[in-house]
Amino acid sequence: MAALRREGRRFAPLISPRSITAVRSSPIAPTHEDEGPIGVRYISTQVVRNRMKSVKNIQKITKAMKMVAASKLRAVQSKTENSRGLWQPFTALLGDLPSVDVKKSVVVTISSDKGLCGGINSTSVKISKGIHKLNSGPEKETKYVVLGEKAKAQLIRDSKKDIELIITELQKNALNYTQVSVLADEILKNVEFDALRIVFNKFHSVVSFVPTVSTVLSPEIVEREAESGGKLGDLDNYEVEGGETKGEILQNLAEFQFSCVMFNAVLENACSEQGARMSAMDSSSRNAGDMLDRLTLTYNRTRQASITTELIEIISGASALEG
Amino acid sequence: MASNAAVPFWRAAGMTYITYSNICANLVRNCLKEPHKTEALTREKVHFSISKWTDGKPEKPTVRSDSPEE
Repeated sequence: MAALRREGRRFAPLISPRSITAVRSSPIAPTHEDEGPIGVRYISTQVVRNRMKSVKNIQKITKAMKMVAASKLRAVQSKTENSRGLWQPFTALLGDLPSVDVKKSVVVTISSDKGLCGGINSTSVKISKGIHKLNSGPEKETKYVVLGEKAKAQLIRDSKKDIELIITELQKNALNYTQVSVLADEILKNVEFDALRIVFNKFHSVVSFVPTVSTVLSPEIVEREAESGGKLGDLDNYEVEGGETKGEILQNLAEFQFSCVMFNAVLENACSEQGARMSAMDSSSRNAGDMLDRLTLTYNRTRQASITTELIEIISGASALEG
Repeated sequence: MASNAAVPFWRAAGMTYITYSNICANLVRNCLKEPHKTEALTREKVHFSISKWTDGKPEKPTVRSDSPEE
């Protein structure tokens, strides 16, 4: 882009050849330069041709990446839509209370391992940091669990001491429930929490990814909230079969809820990643096309200028011979 | 949250409900006949690399994987 600006500056003299001094004093020393008889500078066509070739190759690559992202999106999208049915009953039963007041909250940030996917990872990290700020104060603390290389790079920079776990290489095989549940198990075993806030990008459509936070409470907090009434207070209306107590069941449900919500979150984030990559590659192909148009104009101008100069030389040489 | 009833055997052994349901699911998948069995078992592959951080310092990452290391 900067080189194109340099070429633009060099082209000013073609339009007004009197500004030679201004151009000559420019500090940028270009290669392959010709100076015509009246001191007009223009760039060699070779350089422009090389540039056009490389821009065209980049355009092909980004178009191919867009196709690949589109096909991956199709594959993950059906899984994601099916997984939404896993956590909806939990939310109907236990509710999703982001405003719950807890002492120890853990923010699980989900991001991608690969780049070139637009701004979705930055928005996830921004929201995680916002939640961290909201939840810090006396007696309250927030820790991070990071999934994915991109969020890891951003959070390491300024929140090093608040990180508990970092998990990467999640997408080596296709995403399945077993993998995510093993992951959820590791988190449950290694991190103590009162509330888990999972930050991910929810996939609404190919062009819209909304960062969302899902809250999963630990069983003790669910008990506490149940006693204080509200939605969870209705839990006492349920009859418990079998030999288990209500506390038992709440613990099982909380663990399973976490696993289901994580599964859905990881899938939605994967969908959003592919969709964001599609639109990023699409805009980059379009930019490459614009750049190619501008370079073609430059090339033609240069070519015509050199032809004109040659003609002028020939004709003036011929008229000098005659007269 | 002390429960007077006996905890289920798996919780007494230190497993969470998630581990318990995964083992049950594995048992059910192994009951399938070919070719559905191999197809279902591909849905069980686990691979990720986890690293625990203490005080802003990472420990060596461990890779939990069912696939053989290359």
